[in-house]
Formats: sequence, structure tokens, C-alpha cells
Amino acid sequence: MLDSVTGSLERYMDLLSARQKIVASNIANADTPGFKTKDLDFQSEFASALSGSQPQASEVTGLPVKNDGNNVSLDREARLLAENAMRFSAASNLMRSQLNTVKEAIQGGKSA
Amino acid sequence: MSSLFSALSVSASGMAAQRTRAALLVENIANSETTRTPGGGPYRRKDAIFSSDETGSAFSSELDAQLDGQSLTGVKVVGISVDNSAPEKQYLPGHPDADADGYVSMPKVNPAEDMVDLMGANRSYQANVAAMSAVKDMIQKSIDLLR
Amino acid sequence: MTTPISSIAPIAMPQMAPAAGAAGQPGEFQGVLSSAIDSIQSLQNTAADSVQKFLTGQNEELHTTVLATQKAELAFELGLQVRNKVVDAYQEIMKMQM
Repeated sequence: MLDSVTGSLERYMDLLSARQKIVASNIANADTPGFKTKDLDFQSEFASALSGSQPQASEVTGLPVKNDGNNVSLDREARLLAENAMRFSAASNLMRSQLNTVKEAIQGGKSA
Repeated sequence: MSSLFSALSVSASGMAAQRTRAALLVENIANSETTRTPGGGPYRRKDAIFSSDETGSAFSSELDAQLDGQSLTGVKVVGISVDNSAPEKQYLPGHPDADADGYVSMPKVNPAEDMVDLMGANRSYQANVAAMSAVKDMIQKSIDLLR
Repeated sequence: MTTPISSIAPIAMPQMAPAAGAAGQPGEFQGVLSSAIDSIQSLQNTAADSVQKFLTGQNEELHTTVLATQKAELAFELGLQVRNKVVDAYQEIMKMQM
């Protein structure tokens, strides 16, 4: 019943959660020697028809590497942290609005 | 991967590791001129050894931690390296700890460098705090969907 | 002059879907009703599973559990309202019987 729009929103929220977990992990390892920044390919995971599959994290290329082999950029991670949080907030608000609309439609039919 | 709650443990591990790192840097800075220690010789600088560490939430099941090959990667201080290499010698003939040739063994600590490192540790600590806060907010948004 | 009562045609009873327990007529409406009940049941099972997984610390995100329970609740509420409507309509019609 609800699944056409909320299915997409739910998948979006799943991926944002997954991405935020990776960001937290990158930040925790900002000073771990040899640690390489990870991320997931958001748009291709989102477009992927297989909902419910675990998103694949992979190493990020093109980041400058420090002397100890670590390539975590706190600026990049801080930006992603903020972006993921805001997108999740937007998606959850949209979701709540959808659910409330359906709820109204159902209860609006209640006979007096 | 394990759930968003595990990300809280990850950030907590980051905070703990950075605190340890900061504590050691503070110790180095405070002892940058210490020429005499109970163990003999000048102060030996200490550094934290960071290593990544698989972590789960306090509420996650053992089974899940074993089945799920993609648990989250936190960080842990796996050891403290003490610099036992030959100390630097400075020529200070009047110094109470000077040897026969007037050289004093000094700690291998560059306070300016460690101070910069300390600021880096602080910045990383704050980043972990921010991450924990962001994750907490996301979880709260999920709870708000129930209203 | 009065018309003899016997010549008044009896009021035709509308075909209602049989109530639960009544044997026989698999009307289209009953088909719709039972598939609706099935899907409500299925959503509730999904929600219950999701809650269980969340509580026992398995890989379940909180928002997944919340959404599963919300969907189950909405489906149930819809089913309930439809059922109320059907009962109201039935009672309305029964009142018309002489």
C-alpha cells in the first residue's frame, strides 16, 4: 500500500545509515597508521534494485596519504557527517509526512 | 553491517584513543626537561600505538558479531612505545646531572612538535564527539517516526 | 379499496458476503477480504520479526523496525475501518427488512 514512495525513502535511510557508520569509523581511525578511508557508492547502491542487500564499502581513491600511510581527511569526513545527518533528517520527515497522510486518509473515512 | 548503535561504540573508541594519545603528549611536554628519573637517565618519550579494532554495540548479540563479516572498525591503543634510543646530549658543564665531560642527557622531546600534535589530538577528539552526536540525532529521528 | 397483501412482491434481499463461519459462496468480496486479512497478518509478522531482531541485537536498524510497525499499524487500522463500514452497511440493510 505505502511501498511505492516509502520503499524508496526507506532504502535511502538504510544507505545513509550505512554511510554514516563508515564515516564514524573513518573519524575514529583518523590517526591509525596505514588506515585507508572507506566509503560506499551511494547513487549506484540506491539505484540497485536489490533492496535489503548489504551495501558494499570500498576504499576511497585520490586522497593524500600521510607519512604513516593513513589517508583520512577530517575535513572530508566532517562534511559527510553533516550531509548524511541532514539528508537522514529530511528523509525521516518526509516519511513521517507520508505516514500521517495515509493515517488521515484512513481515519477521515470514519463514519460520524 | 551492524546497526547504527554500533557507530556510537566506534566514536567512543576514537575518543578514548585520542584521550590516551593526548595524555601521553602532555606527559612528554611536561617532562621535556626532565634529566633525572627514578629508573635512571633522562625522561623517555612515550607515544601511543593506534590500531584499528572491530567493534560492536554493547547490545549486539555474539552470534551477529561472528556471522557478520562487516562489523564496524573502531580504534584501540594497542600499546605505548617508549623511546629507549640513545638520548641526546647537550653540553651543560654546570648542570647537576652533567657527566664527566660536561654533557647532560636530555629527553628526546620537542615540546613545540608535541604541542602541535596535542592540538591534532584535540581536533580528532572533537571530530569523534561530533560523529557520536550526529549518530545519536539520527537514531532519535528514527524514534520520532513513532509519533 | 385495499390491495390484498399477498400480491405485494417480496423485497429482494441483497447478496451479502457470508459472515465468517458461513459455508458455501466464495463471492468476490470474500476473496478481497481474505487477501486483505492475509496481507495485514503478513505485515504484522514482519513487524514482530523486526522488533525481535532489534531487541536481540541482530543487524536490524531502528528505522527499519519503526517503519515495519507503522506499516502494520496502518494496514490494521485500514482493515478495521473497512470492517466497520461493512458492518454498518450490513446493519443498515438489516434494518430495512420487514
